[in-house]
Amino acid sequence: MWLELIIRLLLSPYIFAPLIYPGLVTALAILLTLIWLERKFAAKVQLRYGPLYVAKQIGGAPQLLADAIRFMFQEVIVPRNADKVPFLLAPVLAMSLGILPIVFIPVAPGFAGILINFSLPAALALSALMPITIILMAWSANNKFTIHGGVREAFITIAYEIALFVSALSMSMLYSSLSLQDIVEKQALVPGILLNPLAALTFFVAMLMSAGKLPFDIAEGEQEIVAGPYTEYTGILYGLVMGAGYVQLYVSSLIFTELFLGGWHPLFEALGELYPPLGGIALFLKTYLVLAFAVFLRCVYGRYRIDHALRIGWRRLIPLSILALLLSLGLRFVGVVV
Amino acid sequence: MAGGGNGFFSWKELTSPVSGEKVYELFIGPQHPASGHMRFIVRLDGDIIVDVEPDIGYVHRTMEKLSEGREYIKNIPLFERATIIDSNNITLGYVKALEKLLGVEPPPRAKYLRTILSEMNRIQSHLYGMGIAGIMLNHSTMFMWCFGDREIWIQLAEELTGARLTHSYSIPGGVRRDLPADFKERFEKAARYMERRLKDYDKIFFSNPMIRSRYEGVGVLDKDTAKRLGVVGPNLRASGVRYDARLLGDYGAYDELDFEVPTREEGDSLARLLQRVEEIKVSLSVIRQALEKLPEGPILADEYFKKLPPKLREKVLKTGRVKFPAIFATLRPPPGEAIARVEMARGEVFFHVVSDGSPKPYRVRVITPSFRNLVLLRYLPRGCRFMDLLAIYGSVDYFPPEADR
Amino acid sequence: MSLNDIKAKLEGLAENITESHAGFILVEVSPECLKEAANILVSTGFDHVSCVEGIDKPGDGVIEVTYYAESYDEDKRGVIIGLRVKVPRDNPTVPSLIDVWPSAFYPERETWDLVGVRFEGHPELKRLLMPPDWEGPPPLRKDFKVKEEGIVVGGGR
Repeated sequence: MWLELIIRLLLSPYIFAPLIYPGLVTALAILLTLIWLERKFAAKVQLRYGPLYVAKQIGGAPQLLADAIRFMFQEVIVPRNADKVPFLLAPVLAMSLGILPIVFIPVAPGFAGILINFSLPAALALSALMPITIILMAWSANNKFTIHGGVREAFITIAYEIALFVSALSMSMLYSSLSLQDIVEKQALVPGILLNPLAALTFFVAMLMSAGKLPFDIAEGEQEIVAGPYTEYTGILYGLVMGAGYVQLYVSSLIFTELFLGGWHPLFEALGELYPPLGGIALFLKTYLVLAFAVFLRCVYGRYRIDHALRIGWRRLIPLSILALLLSLGLRFVGVVV
Repeated sequence: MAGGGNGFFSWKELTSPVSGEKVYELFIGPQHPASGHMRFIVRLDGDIIVDVEPDIGYVHRTMEKLSEGREYIKNIPLFERATIIDSNNITLGYVKALEKLLGVEPPPRAKYLRTILSEMNRIQSHLYGMGIAGIMLNHSTMFMWCFGDREIWIQLAEELTGARLTHSYSIPGGVRRDLPADFKERFEKAARYMERRLKDYDKIFFSNPMIRSRYEGVGVLDKDTAKRLGVVGPNLRASGVRYDARLLGDYGAYDELDFEVPTREEGDSLARLLQRVEEIKVSLSVIRQALEKLPEGPILADEYFKKLPPKLREKVLKTGRVKFPAIFATLRPPPGEAIARVEMARGEVFFHVVSDGSPKPYRVRVITPSFRNLVLLRYLPRGCRFMDLLAIYGSVDYFPPEADR
Repeated sequence: MSLNDIKAKLEGLAENITESHAGFILVEVSPECLKEAANILVSTGFDHVSCVEGIDKPGDGVIEVTYYAESYDEDKRGVIIGLRVKVPRDNPTVPSLIDVWPSAFYPERETWDLVGVRFEGHPELKRLLMPPDWEGPPPLRKDFKVKEEGIVVGGGR
């Protein structure tokens, strides 16, 4: 009887969603495999093998597991001149704020950590808090390179946030709802990307800027400022900060899939009877495809100069996202979506 | 403030101290992921560079002093280590000066073989430069592709000389080894592959709008300043000055081959990189012509060949590998001095050898092209944004071990 | 540009103009006339210097400093003009020519660093290739012997 109670507790949406899917365990699994996938993509394009040695038969897939174990045993060095409490606290905050928006994202109708009617703005608002922790990292390390990186991060954040929000809002205006669940329900026949491709484009580019993926890895500019705000971190803190970027990419991809790619349709009906998150397999697969594409761009691009990236954010993305908003209004006016 | 070169150059302005409340100093020091073996002392005002001071000398290996303690023939591997990726060109400078002192002329076949290896080194060195330019912008694909394609030219050089990078191929009077039998076919295969790859590079790097936006108009070097500063190599030719030490026609087989020296007019970083691509194409055509017109004959000058015992002479003619005559160990050029200039991949190297009749040189002075281009790293980034410093560094193709010798 | 043209232009300034068989035209001047000769060369079209060299000759008690001027123009392509001064070894001072030839900045600094010749008017004579705290004699002088370490064969810990 106790066992049954515990299992029912674990499978309830309040525990399952934030903890297992799409929460911590899935995020960790995606982190481990996505970075391996990125390195394998880059290797295939660049005429080399990539990670190979950890388990040669499966192509070195547990490479990231080996890396994570190595990080856990590595010494954490705190610089003498650094401000200790923020220095040690900021990576933890970054990872927590990165993963927190997941509690609002539903994976099946009625299955989310916290089920509210405003899940879209809530998730976006929480993910917008993460850059502040990066600036905290930069300031507390007390190093000219990190401060330079922190200032770059601040500039970039202001440039992409508006475009991100307005693109997401244009989709919610199209479907006249701020709840992710309703938005996905209304995409049963036609995914959102076909209705409003402009919003999809601006959301995707803003998503790349937010996670610091090439061509926008400016804050972490390895060739100029060593590693930007992350320069002084070693050991498990380094693992945390490197993972925080990927976790933010994962959360944004989840939102992208639910806004534009139809969320958990079309497999839901078959499997959803058994247990709701099983129907969310389609959501997981689509999110993984979006993530794979985003990390593939590393093979094609170099790094933008900071003023070019800011110009893209202010002069291209924001006007385009406002156009997307007007496009949504037009579609509703014409009656394509009721 | 757009990039550095506004045509006005004055050492007084460049060396005056910079002060200001908002100016802060960054040491892009030798312990840095992308600085090479040197340090930049960068003074920044926000994101704009106010002053750059390159601090070199971290790889100074005292080659000029060391050369005074070694016999003439032992200095060939010594000077080769200055620019190991371009080794035949730099040793050819020293060997040419030595041949002028000794009064020896290499046979025609040796001249053609030297030309072939020089051009192969030039291709390989330009690929290195382009790879470094790619990674400076964090474009890892260009970096990996260039270094992977360099492998082909290194393997061809290994078939010709026996060593991948440290060829030591030119000796006073000729070359060390003859051409292997199937070299021509293998070269043709490599050349076709290279031409295909150059198109790939164009698609992913040179026509990539993102890369263009980082290179176009950055670090413009105009023609007159380039001439006054004594800049050499592709950096000079990308600013419109048609100067190449190969055109002097006094070494190798260049006066008998038909090649043109490309130039570009813009003088910005993109022009410097595209200039290197053009030079690779020119080098491929030069090697093709040289392989076709290769004359038969000995590879070592007669007066040294005669000094070998008869058995060794037969062996040399049979295997195509030269054995050094005993006189090489104590070569005594007559007292005097000689100057030689050779076009390396990065520019023109200048050798001045002074001899006083003893087996060891009295003084060898070498000025390498990277040392002459050092002033560009001080002049061009002024007024640019901080990230342009590395774009300019990649496009100038400065090689610290070469500059420090 | 031949030997006679150079002779005509540098009339009276140079002590000795020869065409060295090494392939360059050697112009020997005294330190006072150095700058004037350099200016005349620049106006002729030899607008940059490829090398500045200091050779230590303890036998004659002088250090020979030579500036090798070249030109990128088509007609002067193969010509190198070496402008040579001889300065006494115990106090080698040469007026700096960076106003005349800006490309001589780094070679002059290197010559000061390694040979010990002082260039008057050079704004930045500090260590270039030697370590910044090098106090000893200039290394390229002939009386600077490099201490060689012996090779230990076998034994050792």
